[in-house]
Amino acid sequence: MPLIPSLKYRFVKDVAAPLAMSLRRTRRKARKSNPYLGPPLRSSARLKQIMMRHYYLAGSAKGARPIAWVTSGAPVEMLRALDFYTLYPENHGALCGATRMTPVICGRAEEKGFSRDLCSYARTDLGHAFSGMTPAGKLPKPDLLFCSNNICQTVQYWYKQLAYLWRIPLILFDTPFITGDEISDADLRYMSEQLRDMIPDLERVARKSFDMDRFKEVLHLSKEASLTWGRILETMKARPAPMTIFDAFVHMAPIVSLRGLPVTLRYYNSLLVELKERVNLGIGGIVREEHRLMWDNIAIWFKLKDFSTLFAEQGYNFVCATYTNAWVETTPLINFEEPLFDTLAKTYGLVILNRGLGHRLNLMEGMIRDYQVDGLVIHSDRSCKPYSVGQYDLQRMLEQRCGIKTVVIEADMADSRSYSEEQVKTRLQAFFEV
Amino acid sequence: MDRSRYLLSQKNQGHPVIGVFPAQYPKEILWAFDLVPGEIWDPKLRNTDAGQHLQPYICSVARLGLELILQGKCDFVSGFLFPHTCDSIQNLGSLVQEFVKPDVSCHFFYHPKAPYGKHSKTYYLEQLRKLVLELERLYDPLDRDKLASALVSGKRVKKAQQDLHELRAKGLLPVSNVEYYRVLRLGEFLLPDDYLRELEALKLRASDSVKGLKQVVVSGVLPNPEGLLEVLDGIGLHIAADDFLSISRRWSPLLDTSPDDPFESLAQSYFSMPPCSTKGSSIEDRLKYQIRLVEKTEAKAVIFWNTKFCETELFDVPFLMKELKAKGIEVLSIETELHQSAFGQLVTRLEAFGELLA
Repeated sequence: MPLIPSLKYRFVKDVAAPLAMSLRRTRRKARKSNPYLGPPLRSSARLKQIMMRHYYLAGSAKGARPIAWVTSGAPVEMLRALDFYTLYPENHGALCGATRMTPVICGRAEEKGFSRDLCSYARTDLGHAFSGMTPAGKLPKPDLLFCSNNICQTVQYWYKQLAYLWRIPLILFDTPFITGDEISDADLRYMSEQLRDMIPDLERVARKSFDMDRFKEVLHLSKEASLTWGRILETMKARPAPMTIFDAFVHMAPIVSLRGLPVTLRYYNSLLVELKERVNLGIGGIVREEHRLMWDNIAIWFKLKDFSTLFAEQGYNFVCATYTNAWVETTPLINFEEPLFDTLAKTYGLVILNRGLGHRLNLMEGMIRDYQVDGLVIHSDRSCKPYSVGQYDLQRMLEQRCGIKTVVIEADMADSRSYSEEQVKTRLQAFFEV
Repeated sequence: MDRSRYLLSQKNQGHPVIGVFPAQYPKEILWAFDLVPGEIWDPKLRNTDAGQHLQPYICSVARLGLELILQGKCDFVSGFLFPHTCDSIQNLGSLVQEFVKPDVSCHFFYHPKAPYGKHSKTYYLEQLRKLVLELERLYDPLDRDKLASALVSGKRVKKAQQDLHELRAKGLLPVSNVEYYRVLRLGEFLLPDDYLRELEALKLRASDSVKGLKQVVVSGVLPNPEGLLEVLDGIGLHIAADDFLSISRRWSPLLDTSPDDPFESLAQSYFSMPPCSTKGSSIEDRLKYQIRLVEKTEAKAVIFWNTKFCETELFDVPFLMKELKAKGIEVLSIETELHQSAFGQLVTRLEAFGELLA
């Protein structure tokens, strides 16, 4: 890598970033306490540092490290082995949603002709590409786009636009949709071979050779961090659950966008310790946990704070979600006794959104049972068709099978223009009264 | 020709009907099993039951297809085939199989997505063989001679379609847009011999080049609502070539494919089809293809005819329009719902656009 960008990057990494984080610590205001929520997690401060540092460093990574923009379900371990600096436009989209910048940034994409009916993450990302607007400092332009359609086909339509806009390579990990109970030999072979075949293209962009030992090490880190994330989620089986799912939505950022890095495993180990402490002391994510809920679909990022209070006020705690579970569900499939590309293919091919609705129904039923859930809140996310198509049937069947109450909220994960406060309030009031 | 009546009569003659959702699938394999593919794109139905299963922001191709099943209007089919076209069709297939649970088999056909790798074709061949195995469990073993014959029929249909395409492109087939697409869409359910008769009949209506035709290229999913075709006819915009998913994007230009291995032949056909958003084709490839269509037809414009909520198409439109315009080609983007009857403002826009092309 060229000398000056590398030196700049090292300076930012070793000097400027730690200094900026420590200045942030001294500047931090005391948070107002919320009478309905339990004490805030101590670990949250560390999480903010980690994510801020990640975005801060990103600004100087261009030229020092190969940069890749990656979809959340893509096998990032392939890139980690080649020392790519990775950014996740979906994570950025969530951040824009949470900071309520989505409508403005999406507007930039809509001005260029991109329909408002398209996924709001995609519009945010394209809007950022056209305007540079972001709440996250400066996002470096990627050298490579790395995409897997295991979460949806939309990501490939979206990333294709970026590839065209910037004339940069796009690598697609094409994951056949699994309709049955198992992955077929043909599907596994196809995916495995793609992983093998993408190496020369990755090496070309990274300008280094793919090291299988490094790859194995990264995969170990990924697996351990993901399993630890799973243990974190399992603490919410306790009564009261030591955090809310709104906390989990925030704390999932590292497993989504820093998966395979040592910092993720270290962070989740410390978060797990804190949560176990809270379980032992009976400290709940909310003050009065009378009812336990499951959330389905992506979070409504701009309503995290409002919803956590709204539900907590009524004594409802969200103790599990299909979304947070997605980053551990297939981790046990990582098996170092198998050929590594086969194991990686299975792990990424069998994720929840790449499987039929029957699998999802069984998974949700199991979670409702395991987490002792009384009710289900379904976010019908207009930006996410693979998550949303089938939800009405899932709602009906889970009501019947599990005897729980349910409600559907029609909204969008990031674009607040697709959210009707009155409509949602009315539905939730009815839900609380049942 | 009435679609349901034709398919019912085929069933009564001992040819099971398979309800096929959009879009790309190996028709020839179904023919080889004496199955009749009945494609489900836009049944004319009122949305009554599908809304209990699908949100309002799901495209009407998926909604109407589900409505057809729920209203019992394809109770005579012996199975369904769901090609992997987009997220909505993907989940619709799963919803039908696992929740609606019709008493017939549901088949899924995954075609690889671009950018293609070294093993995309191998995988496509395996998907063809998988489909054959599934059908063999339900029907008689595949007769290789029938498959060869199906490929010959497919080739004849392709040739006829290409001939029509050439005539239309040169302005030598000045039938109305309505008439042209009514005939082409018969391929969604007619068996090859019956379809060829219709295509040949249409070809006979070729005439000397008609002067003064305002030729346009249209890009989109399918030519629905038909009323819009009437509007285009009314304002003198003649569709000289199309980039419709349901029509030309499924026409492989290759006629002479590998004769010895029918599966190889089908694979070559798939990978040689025009670029398509449902296959993940790049903007560059789609742009080159559209420019070729414009040049071949000397069209004055490209109209992007978008079906509401079709993400697959809507993503590509802005850059395609921008680049076409930069090359001096007029462009227009319109959005409709299937079977939309009122066009109001749309007519005004199209009229104004038509005048621009004068």
